This record gives sequence, C-alpha cells and structure tokens, in this order.
Amino acid sequence: MSEQEAVEKAKKVKFVILDIHGVLTDCVLYYADDGKKSEMFSLHDRLGSRALAEGGIGIAFLTSKITRTDEQVGSIYGVPPEKLWGTSAKIGKLDEFEKDTGLKDEDICYVGDEMIDLGVMRRVGFSVAPADASSQAKEDADHVTKRGGGKGVVRELAQFILEAQGKWDSVVSKLSKEG
Amino acid sequence: MLGEKDIEKAKEKARKVKLFAHDVHGVLTPNTFMVDVEGKRRYTFWHMDGFGDLSFNMNGVRPVFLDTSSIDDEGLYRARELKLDKNYYKVTNKWAKIEELKQEMGIGDENVGFIGAEITDLDAMNKAGFAVATADAVDEVKAVADYVTSAPGGKGPIREICEFVLRSMGKWDEWVEKVTKMGYK
Repeated sequence: MSEQEAVEKAKKVKFVILDIHGVLTDCVLYYADDGKKSEMFSLHDRLGSRALAEGGIGIAFLTSKITRTDEQVGSIYGVPPEKLWGTSAKIGKLDEFEKDTGLKDEDICYVGDEMIDLGVMRRVGFSVAPADASSQAKEDADHVTKRGGGKGVVRELAQFILEAQGKWDSVVSKLSKEG
Repeated sequence: MLGEKDIEKAKEKARKVKLFAHDVHGVLTPNTFMVDVEGKRRYTFWHMDGFGDLSFNMNGVRPVFLDTSSIDDEGLYRARELKLDKNYYKVTNKWAKIEELKQEMGIGDENVGFIGAEITDLDAMNKAGFAVATADAVDEVKAVADYVTSAPGGKGPIREICEFVLRSMGKWDEWVEKVTKMGYK
C-alpha cells in the first residue's frame, strides 16, 4: 500500500480502536517480588489521544480482558469507561459498536499487532500496525508506524490522521499554549 | 545538527539566562509511566538531572518546574526531594507563569531559558531567549531550538544543559572545584 493510499484512508477516519498489549505497551511485563505485575506506557500517547479528541475523533481500547491497569491508563488518556472493551470476540464487538453508532467500517481505524487482531484489521477502513508488530499484522496493515508499541504509536498515528484531515496545525496551535 | 556558528550563538544566549524552566514529563522523564495490577503508577527520573537543577540554583540561575504533565504529584515529589519546591508550579499555561516570574524577578525574555520536547512546549520555546530541545524532542520543537542536547528526556538533559549554560558563563570550573571539595548536598 502506498503512502498516498494510506492518507486517503486516514481522511475518512472518525473513530480509532486500539489494542493495548503491543500497541500501547512494548509487550514487556514487569513482575515485582510480591508477584504484582506492571506494564510501561507512554505519555506521548496521552498527547496523541488528546490531539485526536481535539480533532473530533473518538477512541476505544479493545483487548481480551480489561484490567485495573487498563482502567487507569484509560482514565489518564481520557478514554471513558464505556469505551474500554474487554472481549476476545473482537469482530463481534466491532459489529455491535457499528450497530449502536451507525458508523461504517470505512469510518474506523484499528491498531493491532498480533494474529488475534487480523480479523478486525481486515474489516476496518484503515488498519495500522506498530513498527515491531508481528509480520502478519504488518503485511495486512494499510499503514505501519515508525514507532514501536509503547513508544508513542498513538501520538504518531494522531498526527498522521489529523494531517491527512487538515486538522493538525490548528490542534498544534491549541495544544502549544495549554501545555 | 548544530554548526560551530550555531554553538557560538547558543553560548551567547545562554550567558544571559537568569531563569531556566522545564516541564516534568518528556524532559525529566522519558515520557513513560508504569501501572501495576492495582492501578498504582511509577515514574522514572534521572539522578543527575537533580544535580543540574541544583547547580543552576547555586550559580545564580533560578531553576523552575512548570508542571503541566504530572499524573499524580510526581513532579512535586521530585522538586521536594531537591528542596526546590519553591520553584515548583503546577500550571496549564507555561508562558503565563513565566511572565509572572519575569515581573517578580525584573528580567526580560532574553533572560529566560527553556527546555522542551513536545508540541505543548512550542509556545514557550518560541518566546524564551534561550530555547533548548531534548535529543528525542519532536521535529517542530527542534526546529525552533537554539541548542539540542545529546541526552534524551529522562536521561540527563538538565545535567547536560546546566553544564553548557554555566560553561558559557565561565562559572563551571569554579563550581566543579567547589563541588569536588564540598559535595553539593
């Protein structure tokens, strides 16, 4: 897929659905001595989420199970609880969301990195994979980000979509003053 | 890349700095946060950036935390640890706070140093007399910077720029001698 084709697809995007592990994280799991697990996220993605919201584009997380960690990240990124979707039936969730909102496949961008994401990636209008996604995901994706999972994929994607839609400059001038 | 001429220009600007401001995330941290299964957050800072801010403070340059980015109170905790909480401000508009501090200190734009990394820093970068970008700052920020550190955010940019500024002022060697004899804490 050429860059221009990806830009054309990005122009239509009204909603972005994000896988969590491998997209918002680099897949690394940190275990403490008491067995408690932590994961590392990027604040670049908080800015990316904010930029998308400024540009009128909504966001949801879609992963097999929503944990307390994911709820915290959702609240930090400004994703409301009803947009934290935990199910391994990812295509069924997409159908339900489209039925509820009237959005069509071509209005939706999905970012995924693994085999479980391929079904949704093939359905949506604009499918994206991080630089370090599995080879299948990258082959299927309309666009591969330069950044790897957990390193600002949403930040980069937000700029890509908002530039395609001609909204980036106004979002930058707003955010540059507000910190 | 900065050429020799650019470096000379940067030194000239650095000499005038009386206040040096930075945000928390992206500069003092690599812009990351960890979350555990109970939702508790952790942040990573760089030990020697604290030395940078303290060195500014001991050498007539006021270090200022303009925190727009903390999730919890991590920026305040860091400032407190360095006993710089009087120079810590939680803000939404960085330059508005700098204007206040300029008034209070009786200084001008040319006396303001600022280091940034993201588009949210652009307004302050454009107005500060000496504007610095971290190694991993976004292109828009680097484009308007007088100087770019070789350290990325969270890996010592304040330590590095502090040395650059104090060297430009001719204060560094004496400071090193002092620290060597007395320590800095």
